[in-house]
Amino acid sequence: MTHHHNDYDVVIVGAGIAGAIMAKQLGEQGKHVLVLEAGTGTDGRFFDQGKEQGYESYMERFFTAMAKIPNAPYPNNPNAPQPLVTDIQKPPLDKPVSDHGYFVQYGPDPFASTYTRSEGGTTLHWLGTCLRMLPEDFELQSRFGRGRDWPISYQELQPWYEIAEQHIGVSANADVQNYHQIDNPSVQLPFAENYNYPMEQIPQSFLDQYLAKGLQGMQVNIDDHTYPIDVVATPQGRNGMPRGDYRPVGAVGNPDLGQRCAGNSNCVPICPIQAKYSALKTLEQAKQTGNVTIETQAVAYHLAVDDNTQNISKVHYKRYHSTDSAAFEDKAVTGKIVVLAAHAVENAKLLLASNVANSSDQVGRNLMDHPTMLTWGLMPCKIGAFRGPGSTSGIPSLRGGAFRADQAAFRIEIGNWGWSWPEGAPIATVPDLIDKQGLFGPALRHKIAEEYPRMFRFGFLVEQLPDPDNRVTIDDQYRDQLGNYRPVIHYKVTDYTRAGMAQAKEVSDAIFQRLGVEPFTQYKTSDPGYVQYQGKGYVYNGAGHLVGTHLMGKDPTDSVVNRDQRSWDHPNLYLVGCGNMPTIATSNPTLTMAALTFWAADNVLNALDQY
Amino acid sequence: MYRLSDFYRLSAALTGYEEVELQGTGVGSVYCQTLSKWVRQDVIEALYAQAEQIGALDNDASQARFYDQIWNSAKLGPVARNIIKMWYLSIWYQLPADWNALYGVDDFSADKQPVEDYVISSNAYIQGLVWNALGSHPMGAKQPGYGTWAFPGDTAKTHNLD
Ligand SMILES: Cc1cc2nc3c(=O)[nH]c(=O)nc-3n(C[C@H](O)[C@H](O)[C@H](O)COP(=O)(O)OP(=O)(O)OC[C@H]3O[C@@H](n4cnc5c(N)ncnc54)[C@H](O)[C@@H]3O)c2cc1C
Ligand code: SF4
Repeated sequence: MTHHHNDYDVVIVGAGIAGAIMAKQLGEQGKHVLVLEAGTGTDGRFFDQGKEQGYESYMERFFTAMAKIPNAPYPNNPNAPQPLVTDIQKPPLDKPVSDHGYFVQYGPDPFASTYTRSEGGTTLHWLGTCLRMLPEDFELQSRFGRGRDWPISYQELQPWYEIAEQHIGVSANADVQNYHQIDNPSVQLPFAENYNYPMEQIPQSFLDQYLAKGLQGMQVNIDDHTYPIDVVATPQGRNGMPRGDYRPVGAVGNPDLGQRCAGNSNCVPICPIQAKYSALKTLEQAKQTGNVTIETQAVAYHLAVDDNTQNISKVHYKRYHSTDSAAFEDKAVTGKIVVLAAHAVENAKLLLASNVANSSDQVGRNLMDHPTMLTWGLMPCKIGAFRGPGSTSGIPSLRGGAFRADQAAFRIEIGNWGWSWPEGAPIATVPDLIDKQGLFGPALRHKIAEEYPRMFRFGFLVEQLPDPDNRVTIDDQYRDQLGNYRPVIHYKVTDYTRAGMAQAKEVSDAIFQRLGVEPFTQYKTSDPGYVQYQGKGYVYNGAGHLVGTHLMGKDPTDSVVNRDQRSWDHPNLYLVGCGNMPTIATSNPTLTMAALTFWAADNVLNALDQY
Repeated sequence: MYRLSDFYRLSAALTGYEEVELQGTGVGSVYCQTLSKWVRQDVIEALYAQAEQIGALDNDASQARFYDQIWNSAKLGPVARNIIKMWYLSIWYQLPADWNALYGVDDFSADKQPVEDYVISSNAYIQGLVWNALGSHPMGAKQPGYGTWAFPGDTAKTHNLD
């Protein structure tokens, strides 16, 4: 059923995971919801394998793309432009900005992360890692004198974590994920008694098992404290064996077997069999309530405010007709409540462009990511690289600890795809074997067979603190072809984070030495993410974890939303997405954000009762 | 087809795969056509003829001749290397500019040279030899099945865990 009036109970901007959860929760309670989505739609094609213009068309785009970057399968759309990893450059010293691509960057360090503007949003190509935050992550200021405290605690969020895990369909075992086996109390996680994830843990890769054996009993020393190094399976939003009668939504394969991940090794950028969670699944459920309308090709650009009530009175948007032309219709819509779910950068941009919700002057500020440092090398024997999901385990033992007073914590991700991230292997590296090493015939085949299965890499997701100078702003000079603002970004990686990178490199070196890994890590001064700390060079990459541009707090003077995730300034405006998170800590942020969004949906439902 | 059989024979020598393995990919004729599209026929003929003359690369003398007359030849070397890259990576790379100046097609028009490197087809990507060579499957296709990544990739040769 479509709602024909131009005013809705709730208008949601953005059809990613945050917008989809909100729409589903409200739709199920009979609320009339309109979702405005800037990108093009998928017309249900993700759920219809047979269609001409079906899911296969995305696969086709991916297979034939030269640069197999995260956005490769998804159509480029100048009316809803998106940042691409291939656009990232070091902001030049001789000019004020780097404006290659969609982002305009003032530096001093490049912001290296991206997102997707298309129905389904960035979960179309996320990896699906679903870790909870640690209790101490919510209290960085009071425990370590760093960053900020959240207005809510781990205990308060715990039931919402459970709801989010059940909804995404996370595969993991709670008795592993509470980290009680790790001899570091800081990282241990309380889980509710008898709680378990909806699907069993995804099998750990051969590499994970090899590392777990080799690192047994290993410890490192930081500030006179000893910390263990433990390999632990990572909770993932991809289908494993379902527990009990749990059944995941919309995937190919046998439902009784959980429509399981079949090891396509392509989670980023596109799972060919829908075994990985994407927001399209939640959107489908939202549509099935009959109360949710999704209008695609609709870019919100202005929020109007009622001077008397301070409510958002209208959402203005540009409805374009095709991706080939900049022609659009200017439209506006009203909702009793308005929810922004357009992703951290786009939410901030829309608020700044409308001059709303910013009495604290914190909108756009405190942009965080996980600067991700890689180390790579050759294992002494074949560990079966280039197989399975992108990462099935990590080393979480340094996610927390007393050292956070001085330096960033980090999580170590174990990569299953050899040197694909650091070197673009195999596609980008094989030409050198031929052109530079002169290999062909059996020698070439042999070299690949002997070396590539030994390729190994770590990823270190290093914590960043909220810094008001790391920010998204807008500038009249920089607009896209529809006349909307492009994000202008100021970003730097401070010594706190750099010290964490240096620590991570030391831990990596110790692990490499212990296992006999031949190191190949190279941090080139020409790499966009090259930074120095105490005379040594390191390189960070973007993680795609954009956090903190409209953070939540206890005090209206230094935060944008309250613990209900409602704007302090506008009674009918709610914000959702990772932008609400006051700190990023060491977990990939989406699970925490999804938990918060379920909470926010409850708050919106309660608020609607008053209308 | 006469030329296709020449193409397979040369490809086997260049890639280290048996002709039957190459035929099993089903994309050999597409590669053969791709080669003809971007390289002058007389250059291709010269390459086949040279390879024919050298014969099997099963001794030092024939290998030395191969390096000298094909691999290090300004005219034939870049073409031979492109053939290997097609088979392993399914990509047609632009030939070097200096090669083009000397041996490129006569009517040097836009449609005679690709504007950029490109993936030959989605099926070619899936059939890329590199995946088989490294003991796995193309990312995004030929899925090996749930949990297979927990086993050693290459049982015969992998170091024992214990
Ligand atoms: C390569 C990569 C891997 C990742 N892996 C992980 C992981 O393993 N684990 C994890 O926790 N996180 C991961 N992330 C991060 C995760 O994808 C994001 O945190 C999450 O998708 C954000 O969800 P969202 O709904 O807030 O935003 P999005 O998913 O980006 O959705 C926002 C939606 O709003 C729309 N929109 C934008 N502007 C407008 C506008 N003006 N008007 C209307 N609509 C608009 C967009 O088109 C989009 O559909 C990864 C990210 C990347 C890039
Ligand atoms: S490994 Fe493959 S099947 Fe599994 S989630 Fe990733 S892409 Fe999908």
